[in-house]
Amino acid sequence: MAEIVAAALTSHAPLITGKPDIAKPEQREQLYAGFAELRRRVAAARPDLIVMFVNDHIQSFPYSNMPAFCIGLADSYPAPSAGASKLMQIAPRHVRGAPEWGMALLESGLAAGFDFAYSYELESWDELAVPLHFLLPEATVPIVPVYTNCAAPPLPSVRRCHQMGGFVGEFVRSRARAERVAVVATGGVSHWVGTPETGRINPEFDHWLLDHVARADIEPILALTHDEIERDAGNGGQEIRNWVAALGAVPGWKGDVLAYEPVAEWITGCATVWVHS
Amino acid sequence: MTKTSYALNKVLTAIARQHLRKDALTDEELAGQRLSEAEQAALKAGDITALYHLGANPYLIRRVFRSRFTV
Repeated sequence: MAEIVAAALTSHAPLITGKPDIAKPEQREQLYAGFAELRRRVAAARPDLIVMFVNDHIQSFPYSNMPAFCIGLADSYPAPSAGASKLMQIAPRHVRGAPEWGMALLESGLAAGFDFAYSYELESWDELAVPLHFLLPEATVPIVPVYTNCAAPPLPSVRRCHQMGGFVGEFVRSRARAERVAVVATGGVSHWVGTPETGRINPEFDHWLLDHVARADIEPILALTHDEIERDAGNGGQEIRNWVAALGAVPGWKGDVLAYEPVAEWITGCATVWVHS
Repeated sequence: MTKTSYALNKVLTAIARQHLRKDALTDEELAGQRLSEAEQAALKAGDITALYHLGANPYLIRRVFRSRFTV
């Protein structure tokens, strides 16, 4: 029977890899050490497949077609694409997909009333490339990305994202095969990108969120509204929906915050969190 | 209610997906687009604050007008 053997939450930002030298060395090394420890723990769990809860940045989904939730069915995913490679300073590469697994999730969702969209062609931005640069440098494990609209409001509610992740977790545990599945969510924590407040980070919100994740105290997080997140965590903070989805897949699991640094130079509150039973 | 301008975001998306960066857009680049006068003016001036308030997606503003940001 399939099981979830690892869960991790990380930030993503192009500058984490694109301009490492502009960050304060102690902050950079703390965060990189957090990624390294996450990589060690994920590898030790020996996953056969990684479900990635991520969000688009108007790279794959234009305003002509904006799904709330979308499952990737591609054979592989650029992480990064050639176009994004220069900014992120990561060589272009493709990470293997698992389209049959994704199709099974899609069909199961549709049968159960979870109407995911799907895509056979996704051009990622930093949501896959930056975290996988640290967590999966050899690209040895296939991924199934589950995209949530966190960037082009109106967005699905935080509570609905938790339900969606809960469905994915139930799907994994319903699989008859002996699969070892990791769930990895990327995005957040607080950051303001492209708004008049660009560069702002709110460590107070970030610590609030991380403390609740550490205690598996999910309800106050699920009660957050779009406007509250926008006010306290910025438009980039809306990406915590990905974290919430992952936490929905592993109900009751608690977070072990490996690193948190509000890196002004990367305009992002950056965290790495291991989630465990 | 969410304030968003499809016309602005359509223009900016086309540029961002090509990984191009601009200081400002030209009349030639805006030809044929269904933009309001205020939207055209903001794009031609590279006015990132005005674009935000007119309903441009902030990720797209950042991507296209990266040089206009001080951080």
